[in-house]
Amino acid sequence: MQLLRTYILPRIVQWAVVIFVGVTIIFLIPRFSPINPVDDMIGRMTAFQTMDPQAVVLMRATMQDLYGLDGSLLEQYINFWQRLLQGDLGPSFQNFPTPVNEIIAAGLPWTVGLLTTSTIMSWLLGIFVGSLVGYFQHRRWAQVLERVVIVIYPTPYVIIALILMVLFTFYWPIFPMVGGAQGKPALNWEYISSILRFGFLPALSIVIGGFAFRFIIAKALATTEIASDYVQYAELAAVPKRRIVYSYIIRNTMLPHVNDLALSLGAMFEGALITEVVFGYPGLGSKLFTAISNADYNIVMGIVLLSIVGIATGSLIVDLLYPVFDPRVRLR
Amino acid sequence: MLRKLVFLALLALIALPTLVGFAQEPDGLPVDIPREDLWVFDQIFRWQTVNNFNVWRIGGSTPFHHALMLETFWNRDQETGEFIHALAAADPVYNDDFTQMSVELRPGVMWSDGEEFNADDVVYTIETIKANPELGQGGWHAQLTDFDAAVEKTGDYSVSFTLNRSNPRFHTLFESRWNGIYMMPSHIVAEVEANLADGENLGGWVWEAQDVVVLGNYLPVEADPNGYWELFKRRDDPENSLAGIITGGSGPPYALSIFYGNDNIKKAIAMSRNELDVYFDVDIESFDFTLENAPAARSWYQDFPWAYPNEVSSRQLAMNMEGDPLIAHKDVRWALALAIDIVELQTEYIGGVAKVTPFPVPPTAKLYELYHGPMTEWLSNLQIDLGGGEMYSPYDPSIPDQIAAWAEEQGFTVPGEPHEVFGSGWWKYDTDAAEKLLMNAGLSRGGDGMWMTPEGEPWVLDLQSDPSENDAYRMGQAAFDMWTDFGIEVNFSTLDRNTWNQNHYVGEYEVSTPWTSFALASGDMWPNIRGRHSRYYAPVGEDYRPLGGDSVRRLQDARSDELIDAMESVNPVAQEAENIELGIQFLQNWVENMFDITCIAFKKFVTWDETYWTGFPTAENPNYQPLYWFQGGKYAIQNLHPTG
Repeated sequence: MQLLRTYILPRIVQWAVVIFVGVTIIFLIPRFSPINPVDDMIGRMTAFQTMDPQAVVLMRATMQDLYGLDGSLLEQYINFWQRLLQGDLGPSFQNFPTPVNEIIAAGLPWTVGLLTTSTIMSWLLGIFVGSLVGYFQHRRWAQVLERVVIVIYPTPYVIIALILMVLFTFYWPIFPMVGGAQGKPALNWEYISSILRFGFLPALSIVIGGFAFRFIIAKALATTEIASDYVQYAELAAVPKRRIVYSYIIRNTMLPHVNDLALSLGAMFEGALITEVVFGYPGLGSKLFTAISNADYNIVMGIVLLSIVGIATGSLIVDLLYPVFDPRVRLR
Repeated sequence: MLRKLVFLALLALIALPTLVGFAQEPDGLPVDIPREDLWVFDQIFRWQTVNNFNVWRIGGSTPFHHALMLETFWNRDQETGEFIHALAAADPVYNDDFTQMSVELRPGVMWSDGEEFNADDVVYTIETIKANPELGQGGWHAQLTDFDAAVEKTGDYSVSFTLNRSNPRFHTLFESRWNGIYMMPSHIVAEVEANLADGENLGGWVWEAQDVVVLGNYLPVEADPNGYWELFKRRDDPENSLAGIITGGSGPPYALSIFYGNDNIKKAIAMSRNELDVYFDVDIESFDFTLENAPAARSWYQDFPWAYPNEVSSRQLAMNMEGDPLIAHKDVRWALALAIDIVELQTEYIGGVAKVTPFPVPPTAKLYELYHGPMTEWLSNLQIDLGGGEMYSPYDPSIPDQIAAWAEEQGFTVPGEPHEVFGSGWWKYDTDAAEKLLMNAGLSRGGDGMWMTPEGEPWVLDLQSDPSENDAYRMGQAAFDMWTDFGIEVNFSTLDRNTWNQNHYVGEYEVSTPWTSFALASGDMWPNIRGRHSRYYAPVGEDYRPLGGDSVRRLQDARSDELIDAMESVNPVAQEAENIELGIQFLQNWVENMFDITCIAFKKFVTWDETYWTGFPTAENPNYQPLYWFQGGKYAIQNLHPTG
């Protein structure tokens, strides 16, 4: 009960406050942007043609009204919360009147599918290989592997992605260049295998980038852990090396890794813009980018809201799980 | 054991791409249709709204949808300048004071469901758009409302419009280069409208692929939920579609639009994989890549200068009359023009592949005939005062010949007369004359040779450009280099498109690199210049857009206003000669004052691969524009046939 009152409840309140403040800020920021969604849309609709200036003025007033951008900032803010609490994120301005919920729903499965899979894969691979290399740091294979990763780690992600794209779509053209799958969504092997094929290169690029980062962290943590008394003692006691790696090193370095995983998964709702652009892969990242460019406030708010909730919830989960992983937190 | 695990993990990383790749057909296209029946074209952008073909709503995007599916009364071809009678059987007929317009409709055009198009469709379309502000596409609702346009059926194939005030250009709402008021199938939309619930309107109507009925030649079949592609099927009776009637062609059985991203090289790779039959534009490096890797690919010209040069627009070094106070001085503007070496700009920076123009009208075949040709003598006789009564002739008609000589030096063959390929003459590159003009404006050289303001401060000129417009950006780079060489300290800012646009809206720039054409493909200038009238002027710091005009340059010029007012009451079809003459006077005033430094016309590396389809218009066979994403692009598509 004391744990609930002194540890869990304050964190839940903190979670709610973070979301409220975050949502309020994201409501305000696009409105301070110099880009006006009405003018942007008029510009797009009248591209390559001219309009009578009086008609432009009339059209501007009409669209301001239809977009719900009339009224004071406070009125718009209250309307926004009223809609949000009913689960309505409003219409997209650039795709008026398509609901933002619909637009986000189209991109969300791809983002979640790609980033969950690739993040978990790179997380597992990074921890496992990094810890092994940390433990066997004097072996030749470990030194070679470490040097390879040290080359990959500082390489900008976009370079890795472009190399993969050119390698596997031009020089060795075995992967498609655009899209998330082939054919209509269905629960059959043909469609599912096409998801694997279309998603392979984007996922591989993320796994390589994420793996290198996590490898370095895991190796550093493992190197520190080797010097601990219990590892030294385990080695003197001839405990099997596999057990030392799994139970003494990896387990004792898990806290920062869990933190990393939770925050990475929480942040996935921002999408993976560069991956989406380079591989022509569907998702929320490019939708967010386009929405920011076109001042489509409602889409920006919808996606960032997901991200705020995701990161805040990820942090909350980590906080709540700490007592499980670390008995010292329970004791405090 | 551990070593084996690591080895296996690494092996998997290398082997998996191979296994996954080979587990499937190496075909990267998202639909399973034989390539012999499928024409694949560059979608240019990614659809955000998917599977909604209600193009009349606000935000209803139309690029290439209009070419495949939609029709209005008239089209304007950008290559030939031809006024094509589409759903109208003849030119518009106005009454004497231009408050009424009558239109004869073409009989025998069928909707794809077998109903015949007639005057009822026109009346329904106009009344529905006018009654629904939510159908805001193209500003048609606002413009029909502004003129309180009433439409009346005067026969099964004729209608008459009545306006609340004179408008000799009312027909341009139905004259499409890009968009025009597209006709609705009244027998379909009226039923949809009748079934709307309370509070609903046609702006929210989602017209899904399977329900679509068209006057064009293609019906949508399927759309990628993520907006990367759309599949269209030729209607069963292509001979009854308007494009079929006009061209006699039937077009490919299927058309697939696909978005490979904004990365030029991806389009070029896709074409090398035979997964793209035509792309709309790339940079010259990606075009070279295409020529090397897709042997059946070509653009407008078979060889140099390759690109299509006649899209109706041009690129300027635009000057803000209220930016740098020195720019308000005409001599300074002329000095900046004379410090540009246009031959070097066009060749070294643009690669020799765009036409040169000294004013904001591109030298397409039609517009050259209307403006550039008739103005050549005037331009040659034009003189400016360098100070102290010294008169100077700045125009050099030999610029196209100089570019042609450069091309021949490079080993290229020039496919035609130099002015046909490289455009008009331009201003002499004469830094001595430019120096005199700046001195005349009170500037002086500092000890380091750089120009100083009349107040004795270093003259720093701000030049802004958006790198996403390749030619505009390269033009900006050329100006930066040449003006710097001339001794001007230039701040060249590379800005994101949105920031750059915003600076234009509020006048926060001194020199920039926008694009425009003062003339439509028809030659009519008034629609494109009316927004430059002083009544729409907005001072620096204020956004000009709420006024409805186009005050990018913060210009107030009485002579321009006078000519715009004079053109307003002229019918561009019936009084074409008078209209063009006023346009020429407007351009002469523009040039005399050097209100901006127009350098080159638009060019597009619209490139097609003839592995599967041939018949695109070319420089050797220029019957239509090849710009398939414009409304008039349908005629090029309609003439495609399999290579066999």
